Amino acid sequence: MSVANTPGRLRDWLVAGSPLLLALALGVFPLLTLFVESIGPGLGGENYAEVLSPLYRGALLYSIGVGVGVTAVCLVVAYPITYWIAHRCPDRYRLIALVSVTLPLWLNYVVLNYAWVWILARGGVVNRILVGTGLLDSSLDLLYNNISMGIGFVYIYLPYVVLTMYVSMERLDYQLIEAARDLGASDVRVFLDIVLPRTLPGAAAATLIVYARIAGAFATPEILGSPGNVMIARLVVQAFRQYTNYGFAAALSFVFLLLVLGTLGLGALSPRVRRELRQW
Amino acid sequence: MVSRVTRLAERGAGRLPGIVVALTLVFLYTPVLVIGYLSLSPAGQPTIPIDAFSLRWYTAVLTDTRFIRALLTSLGIGVVTATGGTALGLAGAYVIVRSQLPQLARRSIAVIIALPLFVPTVVVAFGIGRASALVGLGYGYLPVILGHLFWVLPFTTFLIAARYAELDNRLSAAARDLGADDRTVFRTITVPLLWPALMASVLFAFALSFNEFLITFFLAGSSVTTVPLEIFGKVRIGATAFLNAASVLVIVVSAVAAGVASTLRRPV
Repeated sequence: MSVANTPGRLRDWLVAGSPLLLALALGVFPLLTLFVESIGPGLGGENYAEVLSPLYRGALLYSIGVGVGVTAVCLVVAYPITYWIAHRCPDRYRLIALVSVTLPLWLNYVVLNYAWVWILARGGVVNRILVGTGLLDSSLDLLYNNISMGIGFVYIYLPYVVLTMYVSMERLDYQLIEAARDLGASDVRVFLDIVLPRTLPGAAAATLIVYARIAGAFATPEILGSPGNVMIARLVVQAFRQYTNYGFAAALSFVFLLLVLGTLGLGALSPRVRRELRQW
Repeated sequence: MVSRVTRLAERGAGRLPGIVVALTLVFLYTPVLVIGYLSLSPAGQPTIPIDAFSLRWYTAVLTDTRFIRALLTSLGIGVVTATGGTALGLAGAYVIVRSQLPQLARRSIAVIIALPLFVPTVVVAFGIGRASALVGLGYGYLPVILGHLFWVLPFTTFLIAARYAELDNRLSAAARDLGADDRTVFRTITVPLLWPALMASVLFAFALSFNEFLITFFLAGSSVTTVPLEIFGKVRIGATAFLNAASVLVIVVSAVAAGVASTLRRPV
């Protein structure tokens, strides 16, 4: 490094200081605090032993399962949507289409989930229509189960997935698709051989953004989920609110965090995905 | 026979994306429309279809002092978070995209800033709550605002960084050749060119903060109430008619921010 660069570098460290300090103070330091609390008192592994008992193992697996399942559904739905907006939509409607599909991302998820209660409740829209048209004799219980919770999750996180995936879908050269078609490839082949591999970084970035938040969600399962199926967030909130068992809640948080990072796995570490995330 | 089935399937597959988009729009907007429709019912427990039209519950919400105080708190925290988060995001974007720091340092800073994206929010919120108690900061406005700043930082940083990376370096170089110092270049070249991204970042950070629930839930304590906390409490006690009108008002506030931001999306 030349001498002339030294003041520039010092200035750059100063500029980096404020966001970095915030991220360290509110991201790294709290995680360390939790880790210390999870080991204590007395360096015993009791908290961790309790977390791994069958009762909490169930909640951990259920949370991870919900995260994986909902993320998968979002990706499956986002593929045709982003494909249509990027390659089929007439140019002048493209911005409107993109804005309409991603608008709920700006709205409050507590409110949006609450709105679904009105759609799925016994006197709600769906039951009214089904009974009113004579398709059903009496109302169905559509609320407070895995399906209603899944709908609530997809409703909130689909716009995030669409927006993130759109970037790589737009970059996909449509001429490749046309060339494949001219050579006789079917839609399925085009999707598997061209669209999928080229948009994988976008899908990975989208997964990175929504998966952890779904697995660790609190409000959606409280509003739309079954009271019997406990996700991790409720256990942590309970421990926190009742001012007890911080060590246990911290251990639970840590095991959960490791599971989430583990399932995100190597994909998140690949430079391709990181580049994608930065571009987004 | 087989070929006909295949052909039908192929044609179906060709139309599939368009159909999915149409269904998604119905899926996304039906709940919002239903809430808007129900909010106009005068009944305390509205039924579908509603009996009459009335703005009674809007009046009730807008004269409810608890709700108004929560609304003002949310707006205040939102404005502070939006401006502060964008300033920090600009610094973060500069460091990641343009600074002279070593590659490894820039990458590490990007990963640390992105932390709230891949660490479950409940773990982040619980951790901040415990850390705040540990250093004696406790609960209240300051922890909530810091939590919100931390939460919006990855969004503002990467939003601004995307635009920063597209800026033509030669413009700054030309200004420097003409004798401008770094500060002048930043003020007269960089900021104006980044302006649409900065405004989009302000609006998005405002919407994120205005709608944030879980971090606030952990850090607010008993003295601070924001709109999402207020609404979550009302959902639990089943105050339906009040909730419908309040929900519509909350949606309108964020939709206005979204509308303004989307007109900025066309780059200069």
